[in-house]
Amino acid sequence: MSTEGLIVFFLVAVTLVGFALVFSSFIPPTSKNLFKAETYECGIETTGITWIQFNVGYYLFAILFLIFDVETVFLYPWATVMKELGIVAFVEILIFLIILGLGLLYAWKKQALKWE
Amino acid sequence: MKEVLFYLFAGLLLLFSILTVSSRKILRAAVFLLFSLVLTAALYFLWDYLFMASVQLMLYAGGIMVLIVFSVLLTHNIDHKFDPMEFKKIIFSALLSLVGAVTVIYVILSHPFKTSALAAAPISPEDIGRGFLSYGENGYILPFEVISILLLAAMIGAIVIAKKTTK
Repeated sequence: MSTEGLIVFFLVAVTLVGFALVFSSFIPPTSKNLFKAETYECGIETTGITWIQFNVGYYLFAILFLIFDVETVFLYPWATVMKELGIVAFVEILIFLIILGLGLLYAWKKQALKWE
Repeated sequence: MKEVLFYLFAGLLLLFSILTVSSRKILRAAVFLLFSLVLTAALYFLWDYLFMASVQLMLYAGGIMVLIVFSVLLTHNIDHKFDPMEFKKIIFSALLSLVGAVTVIYVILSHPFKTSALAAAPISPEDIGRGFLSYGENGYILPFEVISILLLAAMIGAIVIAKKTTK
């Protein structure tokens, strides 16, 4: 896509969504009162900040996610030439995936994926 | 047209980078860092480095940011608001980064770049894929497979460190 096309696309998208948002604020009947601004209209009031500390266990999931994220990055150039290189490339990527699959198997065996 | 977009992205990148280091709340700094990482990807897209841009988006904006936000949320005192920086420190650090920028720009500009008659061809993901997967000349299949072993080692290391206590 050319740069001009991209800019036109961006402008049209902004205009469409912006028009819908602005227009929809005129149409419906509105009622204003203080309770509508509360987080929970009926329920317990929240106290303190919402930025709470996480369980450390989540960090392991994040690391495992990052490693498979890196794997996905390597799948991307393979996927673009998969048809061209044929069965050889498929076997090569299969070896790649099996070696990484061992890691997932290890995580499973060590119960690193278990929810605690 | 490209120049306009470049200056737009570069200006926003500069703005968000300054906001990252000057933000007084740590989670906000992380979010500003996310914006600057995405804008770096936008610059790569502008120069047709498709693979580089996708790596930047997927790994840095998608993966590393998750890790950073998680480690921020793991710390104590997330809501801690840092004191506004002293004026002396602001001046000193601004001067220091200015000196660094001038040094880098001077070195780049004084380097005699040779021009080539060939037009610069953008490296497509197809070229990278062919390089990774072919085993003949200019093929990198062995390093490619070794990467998977490196990732496996990283994964096992992370699990061993994190699950040390449980038998």
